[in-house]
This record gives sequence, C-alpha cells and structure tokens, in this order.
Amino acid sequence: MAGLSLQKVKKRFGETEVIGGVDLDVADGEFVVFVGPSGCGKSTLLRMIAGLEKTSEGRILIGGRDVTDEDPAKRGIAMVFQTYALYPHMTVATNMGFPLEMAKRPKEEIDRKVAEAAKILHLEAYLHRKPRELSGGQRQRVAIGRAIVRQPGVFLFDEPLSNLDAELRMQMRIEIARLHQQLGTTMVYVTHDQVEAMTLASRIVVLRAGRIEQVGEPLDLYENPDNSFVAGFIGSPRVNFVDATVTAVEDGRALVAAPEAGLAGMAVSTRGTPPKPGTPVSLGIRPEHFVPADGAAGTLSGTISLVERLGGVAYAHAVLADGSMITVESRDAHNFEVGKTQVFGLQRAFLFSADGMRL
Amino acid sequence: MKNTTLAIAFVSPALIFLLAVLGWPLVQAAILSFQDVGVIGSEGHFIGLGNYATILGGAGFWQALGRSIVWVLSNAVVQTILALATALVLNQKFPGVRIARTWIILTWIVPTVVVVIIWRWLLSSSGGIINPLLIQAGAIDRPVGFFATRESAMATLIMINSWRWFPFTTLMMLAGLTRIPGDLYEAARVDGAGTFQRFKRITWPLLQPTLMVLGVVGTLLSFNVFDVIWLLTAGGPAGATQTLPVLIYETAFKGYRLSQAATISVLTTILLMGFAFFATRAMAAAEADR
Amino acid sequence: MRRTLGQSLSLYGGLLLIALVIGLPFWWVLTGSIKLPKEIIQRVPTMVPQSFTLQHFEKLLQASDFPVYLLNSMVVALFSTAFTVLLALPAAYAFFRMEFPGRNALYKTILLAYAFPGVVVLIPLYGLFAKVGLIDSPVALVIVNVAFALPFSIWMMRSFLSSVPREIEEAAVVDGAPTLTILVRILMPLIAPGIASVAIFAFISSWTEYLFASVLIVSDARRTIPVGFAGIIGQYQIDWGLLLAGATAAIIPVVILFALVGRWFVSGLTDGAVK
Repeated sequence: MAGLSLQKVKKRFGETEVIGGVDLDVADGEFVVFVGPSGCGKSTLLRMIAGLEKTSEGRILIGGRDVTDEDPAKRGIAMVFQTYALYPHMTVATNMGFPLEMAKRPKEEIDRKVAEAAKILHLEAYLHRKPRELSGGQRQRVAIGRAIVRQPGVFLFDEPLSNLDAELRMQMRIEIARLHQQLGTTMVYVTHDQVEAMTLASRIVVLRAGRIEQVGEPLDLYENPDNSFVAGFIGSPRVNFVDATVTAVEDGRALVAAPEAGLAGMAVSTRGTPPKPGTPVSLGIRPEHFVPADGAAGTLSGTISLVERLGGVAYAHAVLADGSMITVESRDAHNFEVGKTQVFGLQRAFLFSADGMRL
Repeated sequence: MKNTTLAIAFVSPALIFLLAVLGWPLVQAAILSFQDVGVIGSEGHFIGLGNYATILGGAGFWQALGRSIVWVLSNAVVQTILALATALVLNQKFPGVRIARTWIILTWIVPTVVVVIIWRWLLSSSGGIINPLLIQAGAIDRPVGFFATRESAMATLIMINSWRWFPFTTLMMLAGLTRIPGDLYEAARVDGAGTFQRFKRITWPLLQPTLMVLGVVGTLLSFNVFDVIWLLTAGGPAGATQTLPVLIYETAFKGYRLSQAATISVLTTILLMGFAFFATRAMAAAEADR
Repeated sequence: MRRTLGQSLSLYGGLLLIALVIGLPFWWVLTGSIKLPKEIIQRVPTMVPQSFTLQHFEKLLQASDFPVYLLNSMVVALFSTAFTVLLALPAAYAFFRMEFPGRNALYKTILLAYAFPGVVVLIPLYGLFAKVGLIDSPVALVIVNVAFALPFSIWMMRSFLSSVPREIEEAAVVDGAPTLTILVRILMPLIAPGIASVAIFAFISSWTEYLFASVLIVSDARRTIPVGFAGIIGQYQIDWGLLLAGATAAIIPVVILFALVGRWFVSGLTDGAVK
C-alpha cells in the first residue's frame, strides 16, 4: 500500500502541452477520481502514473519512491483498462496469474493468489474459461482480478465501466466501492461520468485542458465550486448561468440584479470582499436551488417551453426574458405547465466573475 | 515506452536484406547502363549516355512500351469487369459463400507454368476443347492457331492473364464491398431505390477508393508480368507480344547486350516509379476531396 | 430477406458461370491426365473420360525428372517461407507497433519494392551471384524469393497486428512482460492467422516463381517445377499426357496447403488490403 505524489508533472506531445504542471498528493488508502471532459488529459495523466506515457517534466512518487523513469511493472501499480485488455487466448486463471508468472513467482503462490482473487470477485466458476466466453461484467471482474493478484500499492482504473450497459455499470460501481473498502488500497480512477465520480471518490480531481481546476471531496465540489467550470461539470442536470450585475453591497453581501432576466435584486454571499457595484457577474443556480416564489431571496420569471417528468422529480425548461434557458427542478410536477410564464424563487446561488472565478 | 533501439533491431534484418537483394542491384543496373557490357561476365567500359541514345533513338523500346501500355490497359479493363461482376455475386449471402470466396483464387495460387500448360492444352488444335467448341458454336469453320496472328496472340494472352488474375482482383473488390455498411442498402431500400439504383448511387461511388488502389497496384503488377508471356509466345509472333519485361529479358539473355538491357531496365524503373509517385499523389488528392 | 425469382436466378446463374470459368479448365487438365493418349488427342474432346490409365503418372514419376523438380521446389519453397516469416514478423511489428525515426518513409519505400519489376534486377543479380558462386544454387533462389515476398508479407501483417488492441500490449507491459515475451506469448498466438497467411503467400510465390529460376539455375538436376516443365513444353513433340499429369501433380501441393489454411490466407489478403 502506498500513497502517490505528483510534483509539477508535465507532458508534451511535440509542441503541444497536454498536461501543464500538475501537483497532487494522494494519501495512502484514498480513492481519487479524475474527472473532466474528453481531451482534458485525465487518461494521459493516469497513463503517466502507470508509466505507459513518458513524463516530460516533474516527478512522480509512489510510496515515497521516485518512479518517474521507472518501468511500469516496477512501479508497484496495477491497471484496469477500459477495454479490459484481457489476453484472449488465455484462460481466466492464466490471465489473472500472468503478472505473477512474469515476476517468476512459484506456481503454488500463483494458484493461491488467483484463487483468492477469484473468491473476492466471484469468479471461481469461470477460471478455466476464455475471456470471449464471459459477459462484459465478468470480463471486467477478471481484469480487476488480474490487478488484485499483484497486490499493488496503487490501483489505476482507466474508465473501466464505460463499455458496460447502464445496469451493469451501477452493479460494478458498487462492487468497486466494496473492493476499496475491503482492500483499503489507494485507487486512482478516471471517468467522464460525474455520477461515478460522486459516488466512488473520497476526493475528486477536476481537470480541464491538462490542468487541475479543483480538488476536493465530492460534496465540497458540489456545494462549493471554485469556478464556473467545476460548477458546470459537477451536478446533473447542469447548473444554470444567468448574467447579472452587482448593484450594491449590503452587510458584506453583494446585491445582484438582472433586469432583462426578471431578477430585481438578490443578496448573495461571497467568499471574499464583494465586488464593487457595477461589476458584471454570472449567477450559478443549480436546478434544485429553485424554491417557491413566496418569501424567496430573489425571483426569476420565465416561460416554460418543455417539462420532463421523471416521477420523483420534474424538470422545467424555461426561457427567460433575456432569451437564456434555465432548468428548474421541482418535487411537485403539477407546478409546471408548458407555455405558462412563471415566477421561480431563488434561495441561493454561486457568484462568478466574468472570467469564471468564484467570488 | 517503445524502445527505438529495439525497433531498429527489428527492422534492420529485413531492410538490409532488401537493400542488398533489390537496392544494390538497382544501383548496379544503373552503372551497367553507362557501360558497354555484352555477354554476362565480360568487362565493360564507360560510354556515358551512349546506351540511352541507342535505346531512345531506336524503335524497339518505344514499340515495347506501346505494347506494355496496351497490355496494362486491356488487362485492367477485362479484369475490372470480370472481377466486379464476380465480386457482386460473391458479396451476397448463399450457402457455401465462404468456400466460394476461398477457392475463387485457385487460378492465382497454381504455378504460372501450370496456367500455361492448361491454356496451351485447351487452345491446342489437336485435342484442345476451345476449337471444337467454337466450331460447334459456328464462330469459326476450322481450327485456328490462337498465337498465330499478331492481334489474336495479344488478345489471347490478355484473356489468359486476366483469367489468372481476376480472382485476385475480385477478392480485393470484395474487401471494398464488405466495407460498405449494410445499413446504407437498407436505408436506400426504404427510400425506394431499386437494385440498379442502389448499385449506381451506393456501391459504385463507395467502391471508388478500392478501385483506385486496385488501379495503381494492378497497373504495376500487370506491367511486370513476364512468365505467362514468355512461356506462351516468347514475345512473338514477330515481336507482337514483346512487352518491356520481355524486351529486357531478350536483350540480355538472347541478344547478349547486357548494358542495353540494363538501360531499358533503368528507363522502365523510372517510368514505374514516376507512375507510382503521381498515382499515389492523385489518390491522396482525391481522398482529400471526399 | 427473401429473394425474388430474378435475383435468385442471377445469383445462382452467376455462381455457376464463375464455377465454370474457373473450374472447367482445371477439370479438363485433371481428367486429361488419366485419359489414354488416344482419347487425349481425339478430335472432339470428351467431357467425361471414356478411358482410364495411370500411365502418365507412372511415366512422370519413373521416366521423367519430375520427382527431382518436385523435391527442389519443395526445398526452395520451404526455406523461402521460413526466412520470409522470420524477417517479416519483427519488421512488421516495428513498423506498425513501434516508433522510430524515418518509419513512414521506410515503410513506403518497402511497399514500392513490392511493385518492382523482377526482370530489372535480374541482370545485376546474376552478376552478383556469379561473383559469390551462387549460380546454379538453390540458395540463390531462396534469397530472391524472400526478397520479392518480403514487402507484401510485411504489408499483409498490418491488418493482423492492428486487430490486436494496443491496450492488451500495455496490460502486458504493466504486468511486467518484457518486449520479447509480449511478442512470443501475447502477440504471436493472436496473429497466428496472419503468420499463416504470410507463410502461404511466401510458399506460393516461391512455388510459382519462374523467371529467376530459369536464369539462375543451370543444371537439370537443380531445376524447380516451373522451369522443369517449361523445358518439357519447349520440346518439339509435346507429350500432353505427361504434361497434364505433371500439371495435376504440381497443383496438388498448393491445393492441400490451401485446403488447410486457405481461409486465413484470403482474409489476410483482403482484410487490410484496401486502404
């Protein structure tokens, strides 16, 4: 078991910098999830940790040991690939025992460890099958089993569930969480699915264009995003952004108005000193932040163009007077009626500067 | 984590081998073309561009080039038609389709000399089947010698070579055809396109890249054909089927004018490489257009 | 999907036509080889043999040099195949799975070599072989055959190599397998059909090669089948029975080979072929 430390890690492909100086410390036993849109460099960063991509600059430490120029096999990591990457011509048992075989371990040890891993993953019945005779979920478990037998200091997962259908994905998600509890090993997990990130992670790392946007516990990121990108990426349906202007500062809070969008004035708390009156800002309002208009801190009025009723909740898509679209969540679906202009109450909102930084 | 040294170690045996067996002789041929070597093994002197003047000034080279062009174009037309028709049939589903697609290439995997025996036998005037068949069909009234006249010799060779090569072309076309998604045909059916319309609007345009590649590769391959021609007509009658490869061979091994043969070789190589260069450029341009 | 009557007719009619165009010539040769000489040269040939004899085959095996040719061809073809595979496999792996400077340019040059007219290098190669004393040696034929089969073989491996996901190799790297182990334990079993295709291609190329064998081999006892037969064809009085028996015997080895692994070969030929 080992912690992981990235120090000013950079990656260049020719002239283009795909990872631009990442600093990150992962404590032993943590479950860290890298999220970000496609092309943000999250997989590249993971592959650099694995040693499958060379690190152009900076250092990578695993268990306190500098492994920046070390071979993948000697880093004390194990990796689970998106396509499982099982050896098609070998049985499940041979697949799982392969890394030990490469390390020239005695046969009894290999058999014992494979059996143990198979037990943890409920694969005992399939040990003599070939990968093509298994279902997608079983294949993924074999891939995980191959990682387990090495008893690595750090597990690396590269979008391991994205080839599975929705139901299996949920099952495997639970299984991976259980595995983490059981083994207690450090895990680094890459996904573009924010639900996976929220449910699995002890800490989430949000990446954009090869840089870390924010690191934090899932709920922290959700409730206290550092910038509009993180606010937009975490949370589903997406956060609404409404352009507004600071009109005054009262009791250390900014008074914000967006007349064209129907917002008369709303007091919003800020992290630091509130911006001067006249500053253009952006309000970030999560769909679930909307409340009944009576007694709300502020209101927005919009015309409902579409209602999605999911049973438990309903989402109304409304067009504001300034033409922007918002999504409003409500527990009470009867509130919404297509074509109706309605006033939505606001209880709280994030305030972002024009360049997307949290205020 | 790929190791450059290892990569070079993997490539170099093949590379050195090819350089030694194909590259170096090519240089030798070029050197030879500036000398006046006659019989193999004799010494030569540097004579500058003399051979080139002789070859390019004489009629033999140009006539052979003309015959090579006729040969390549006719083969291309005949093989494309045969192969396209065959590929369209084999692209359908029927019991035994796998076997058919495998064994179609039978004509290509047997030795050329066997192909030669087969066709000399079939075309022979004593015991061959073709003459009696044609007589029965009323096309001719007495047995003909297929290699006797200039035109019929060339035409017969083209048919025989096409028979040998069209299955190969068929397989390449099949590869192109199977690459066209079946959804497109279903969509076209739903849109009301008939069999011919589907061929014209989907198959034909989507087969273009395949046909272009085949055009280039096929041109080079048929240009190089030597053994079928040599074994059936030896370039005759009266040089009517003497293409460039045959001319090179004859000049070197029958005429004992080694340096001149090397000169024609160099000219031929320049011609082919030039063609390959411009053809691939044109193909890349067409690709970019799409 | 049901076919209309017209579609069925054109499909099965087409198939019949293809079978006839390709099969009939072989049929006449095969049946001709067991007909009595009298029937062979009959004015109106017979579709189904009316007589049966093995005399042509007896003559082929006992009175002609065919067994020698067959043996020579076999030896040359087997060695050519082995060396082609040995050279093509690592080269293809390096070309399609590794990075090194000049890779693309080199690959294109090698491809060009495939379209290279053999007769062009025949003359200088003859000189070179003469210098090192390889004229009239099967070694010379093996060298030439490998050189001409190699470019296409490397190219043929491409589709097979690209069918193995890179992640599988990466998994093996993470699992601690050295490059050579990855090649032998992971890659080779997965591209076995590709190796078989290359082997068949190399075998067939060598088996059918005429030009170089006709020039580089001088003595009758070293001739391969194509050259040996060409000698018989060239004779004034053609013994058709003998030739047809010989043709039949020359077809058999490739047909057997093809029956065993032909399917792989055809997919190897076509899968990555067009693109």
